[in-house]
Amino acid sequence: MTGLRAAATVAVNTVQESARSRFFALCLVFGGVVLYASLVLGLLAADQEPRVLLDFGLSLIELLGLAAAVYGSATIVLREMETKTIYLILTRPVSRPAYLLGRFLGLMAATAAAMIVMSCLHLAILFAKGWAWTPAYVAAVFGSFLKVFVVAALTLFLALFSSSILTALVIALILWTLGHFLAEIRYMIRWGSGLGVMAPLHALSYVIPDLQLLNVRDRLAGPRPLLAPLGYAAAYAAVWLALAAAKFSRKEF
Amino acid sequence: MGEAVEALVLSGVGKTYAYSHLGRTTYTRGVENLSLAVRAGEAFGLLGLNGSGKTTTFKLALGLLRPTAGTVRVLGRSPRDPQAQAATGYLPELPYFYPFLTPREALRFYGRLSGLGGAALERRIDESLAVVKLSDKADRKIGQLSKGLVQRVGLAQAILHDPQLLILDEPVSGLDPLAIKEIRDTLAALNARGKTIVVSSHSIFDIEKLCHRVAILRDGRLVAQLARADWANAEGGLEQLFVDAVTGAEARP
Repeated sequence: MTGLRAAATVAVNTVQESARSRFFALCLVFGGVVLYASLVLGLLAADQEPRVLLDFGLSLIELLGLAAAVYGSATIVLREMETKTIYLILTRPVSRPAYLLGRFLGLMAATAAAMIVMSCLHLAILFAKGWAWTPAYVAAVFGSFLKVFVVAALTLFLALFSSSILTALVIALILWTLGHFLAEIRYMIRWGSGLGVMAPLHALSYVIPDLQLLNVRDRLAGPRPLLAPLGYAAAYAAVWLALAAAKFSRKEF
Repeated sequence: MGEAVEALVLSGVGKTYAYSHLGRTTYTRGVENLSLAVRAGEAFGLLGLNGSGKTTTFKLALGLLRPTAGTVRVLGRSPRDPQAQAATGYLPELPYFYPFLTPREALRFYGRLSGLGGAALERRIDESLAVVKLSDKADRKIGQLSKGLVQRVGLAQAILHDPQLLILDEPVSGLDPLAIKEIRDTLAALNARGKTIVVSSHSIFDIEKLCHRVAILRDGRLVAQLARADWANAEGGLEQLFVDAVTGAEARP
């Protein structure tokens, strides 16, 4: 069986499993929260309601997508090792990188589907509140997905490297937070260049994902180039997935 | 894949587990200097107390572990060779499956990973379900099935791709007497059709009925190899020979 075919089979299985276990719960939570928020915000910000609802909804879509993808990346392989379902896959003619890629891409496909469904719910509420459609909305959701994508790839590596779900989650969330301040971190490094104390931070700056570059949501009114964020996200994720595959290939069960 | 005279060969195999904690590494022996040869078409039993090295031996034969000494050949190839993997079926002890899938969906997934597809896959799924007497439960969620039925799903996935070699780790563990007899009869029928079976079990009665030869392990070492004639002519049968071997009363390497 070719590596790509095996990866596609594993990816489809991952989508199937994710859809049945988490997908609808996530979308229902989102729908409920946004509907409730629309009622509250309608009272608090009568003149700015669509704008506030737009920002609130986009942030929530990103956070729920992040929660699902990062938790999924941290647990998907370790849980399979724990339940031993992985034995039934790796004892078949499936290469370990193909298995890992399939699990990751399946998880990302399920996350993308959940974010699309949440966006549709969000748009329905926005339209009901008189919001005027702009294609920038799609760019904003796409940018959020790219952020989720890079952090999920990093989390998968962390989970395999540490063999600990909690450690992977904590480090991923720290790097997620730092990723929104990478420009400031680089400024500090330039400011303190030559100081030995900056060396670890300098090294860390190569690991931290540049989430500001992917934060299209904050630039809805201005230019929204998507090619550079897409290229960056693909390259960043590819590096961490390659490292994860190298680590996983040496693993014994 | 051509028919190898010996389905599984372990030559001077050793496996030592290394555990590192706080900079200190401890070593545990899994198996030591283990040499075995299972002939094609044979039903071969692996007996031993808990921790004697049975599961380690299986994992080495499946490529889930790498030996620290010696060599392992499956159907004349490395255990991680895709052709060897395609010709091997494996049932782990207490198999676990994705609870949201049905047996038919799970088998479809494993069948695709084994390189099957289309009408041939659907036919093999129906045949495998029929062999393990699970056809009427094929479309219920696995999470709703009893332990015995899940064990049958495990056996169905092991025979799905019509492998030459079946490696079965405690296939009747935790089952009721009727289910044990049905699975034993199924294995005997598969062996009669030419499948090589390597099986471990704590049920000496089942091993005695099914196997042509057995190997007995104690503390990771081979302490006896017996043929059916040995236990057929021995007072107390295989059970007494096993007790003698694991207590060191009459070790026959």
